[in-house]
Order: sequence, then structure tokens, then C-alpha cells
Amino acid sequence: MTFHGRRLATATALAVLAGLIAAALAPPDALQGDLQRLMYVHVPAAWTAYLAFATTVVGSIGWLWRRDSRLDRLAAAAAEVGVFFTGLAIVLGSVWGKPVWGVWWTWDPRLVTTALMFFVYLGYLALRRATADPDLRARRSAVFGVVAFAQVPVVHMSVLWWRALHQPPTVLRPGDPTIDHSMLAALLINLVAFTLVFVVAVRLRIALAKAEDALERAEIADGRELAGAAVAAPRIARSTSDV
Amino acid sequence: MTAPFGAVALLLVPLAVGSDTPLLRELGPGVYWLVVLLFGVLVTMRQGATDGPAQVAVLDLAGVTVGMRIGGRALANTVVLLVFEAALVPVAVALYDLDLAHWNWWLPLFPLVAVGLGTLGALVDALTDGLAARTAIGPLLAVPLAVPLLLAAAQVPDAARYGRPPWPWLLLALTTDLAVVLAAVVTARHLQEGG
Repeated sequence: MTFHGRRLATATALAVLAGLIAAALAPPDALQGDLQRLMYVHVPAAWTAYLAFATTVVGSIGWLWRRDSRLDRLAAAAAEVGVFFTGLAIVLGSVWGKPVWGVWWTWDPRLVTTALMFFVYLGYLALRRATADPDLRARRSAVFGVVAFAQVPVVHMSVLWWRALHQPPTVLRPGDPTIDHSMLAALLINLVAFTLVFVVAVRLRIALAKAEDALERAEIADGRELAGAAVAAPRIARSTSDV
Repeated sequence: MTAPFGAVALLLVPLAVGSDTPLLRELGPGVYWLVVLLFGVLVTMRQGATDGPAQVAVLDLAGVTVGMRIGGRALANTVVLLVFEAALVPVAVALYDLDLAHWNWWLPLFPLVAVGLGTLGALVDALTDGLAARTAIGPLLAVPLAVPLLLAAAQVPDAARYGRPPWPWLLLALTTDLAVVLAAVVTARHLQEGG
């Protein structure tokens, strides 16, 4: 790990620690009590998923424009991290929903569109996994990465477009946030911590992808026959040496 | 072959949810459009006579670009999907005793769903061309993105039945169609080999 990477990892660890402390010290909700503390993980996880998929679309557009393999690796790494955080947001939302709504899952537009977003990007990763040729893989996943991003604003706006159980935005909205300011501070610390975790995870995944690419190139070079290798030197019948 | 398979699905659903006629009349439109969506994706992923490597090479030599191929494929998909939808209507009407009082609202739905699903299928077909797992990955890519079409198609008959204006749902289907066509037009040239 480089000096820069070590500093980033240290800052991330400190931010995560600060996020945990802030979540523990924030006042409990008047109605939900301590259960509401799930918000300090659920909301940052959803935010990180948005950030990840925005990074994927930027990397995809960048690859289509510049044909730079680093941008393809960035898009792929961000999509993997985004799928993880989308899954985490769904699971935590479900855990939160059971005591509050009485069910693990409800046909709420925010939940359904988030689940669809999860499957869209799972499809993106499956498409990458199924395409062996690196250039073709980058080309196809870049195109799908651009198309798939249409799902992200739909997820965010779903609580405004449809009447739903899920609460509307409390922070990313015009005007003063509707949340108590001490809770907002704890939430913002966790948003910063999750963003740093995202950056670290993407950097590590890109480094792994680079290593995978290098291994793939080395394996192809190892197994490749030299031109003319099939042409043998002339030999006399039953002789073991060349003429 | 997909149309009979779709008819079998329509036949099997009542065995799973119950054969109560009022319930089936309620579920019928939604089940019909769900079958059209899921099986329609299979229709769009079919291998055509022009999909072989030799045929694609000939088309390339003739100056037929990937964009043109996707456009042609989308048009062909739309026609086949319209036939597929038409073939399943009498089956759904017979099995689910569908209320046909507001049939006129169904008419714009058929082409709207066929165009959206057909174009999306053509784009996904180009993305998964030549992959061993094409028939598994193709529907995974297409179906979540086609959900607005299902939502619109299932809500129009409901809205008409309960006296609400179905226009917003038709507008949703039209917007989805436009978005999919725009995505295909913008991204098609990037799918050209060596482009």
C-alpha cells in the first residue's frame, strides 16, 4: 500500500469510528426509539450506492469517449461496490421495516425500484463476467452502464412521484432539512465515513482488477505458440537428430 | 413456439392462485401483461437467420452498420410481439373471463408495449451477442428495465374500469418507449466492432 493509500485508509478508519460514536450519541427518535439508529447505516448505504452508480456511468461514458482501460476498471469496480451497498440498504431497510410497518417487505415504490436497480446492476456484472474478450467486455458494459443509470433518478424520485409508505427525502430536498440538527450531524458524519469506505473499496478493487489483467496477459503469453513452431526441421528416417 | 408456452403459463397461473372466477377476472389483465413481458423477452432473444457469423460478416461488407441491424431487429421484434400479443388475447379472455367493456383502452397499449419491449430486446440482443449465457443474461438485463411498460399496461385497464383517466399510464409507456429508442440510437454506434 502506498503512503497516500495508507493515509486514506487511516482517515477512513477514523471516520468510521467517528460515525459509530456519533450514531451512538445521537438522541433516540421520539416514536421509534433506538430502532431509528438504523438510519445512520441505511441512508449512507443508499447514498453510497447512488454515488457508486454515478461513478459507473461516468466511467462508462469516459471509456466510450477515450477507450481508456482505467475508466473501464473504475466503472466495474464502482458497480460491484454499488451492488453491495444497494443490497445492504435493502436488507437494513427490511430489518427496519419489520417492526415499523409490520412486514419485511411491502410493495412500496421506493423498495421496488431499489430492488430493480439491484437486479439491473447485477445484470451489468453478469454481462461483464460472461464476456471474455477485454475490449468487447469494456464496450458492452460501457453501453449498458449508460443505459442502466436511467434507473437511479427513478429510485430517488419514486417517493415524490408516488404516494408511498417510505418517507420522502429529509436531507436532499429544497429548503431546511426536516430532521433534527443533532441527528443530521450524526448522519452527515456517517455519510462522509461511507463515502471514504467507497473510495477505499473502489481503489482496492481497481488494484485487484489490474492484477487480474496482468495475470490474464501473462497466461496468454505463456501458452502461446511461436510462429512457425509447427514446422519441424528435416530428419532422416529412424534418426533422432536433425540433418 | 413461445406463444403456446405463454398460453401454458396463462393456463397454469389459476392452478397456483385459485380458480375463483371473480379473482381471475381481477388478476387477468395483470397476468396477461406479465406473460407478455416475460415471454416477450424470450421472443426478442430468438436467433434469426441473419445472426450467424457468416451472415453478420456479409452484412458488414454490404455496409449494414450495427445501428441499422439493431433498428431492423427492433422493427422485426415489434411485429412479432404484436402477433404474440394478439395470439394470447383470446386465450386470456377465455381463461380469465376478462371484462372487455373498456377494450378501446387496450388498443394503444399493444403497439406501445411491442415497440418498447422490441427495441429493448434488440439492444440487449446486441449486448449479449455471441455469449454462451446469452439466454440467461439477456432477460436479466431486459426485464428490470421493461418494468415501466408492465406497470403502465397493467394499470390502464384498472384505471378505465374504475373511471380514472388512463392517460398518465399511457404517457408512462410512451415515455419509456422514447427513452429506450433514444438509448438504442445513442449507444448503437458504440457496439460496432472496432468502432
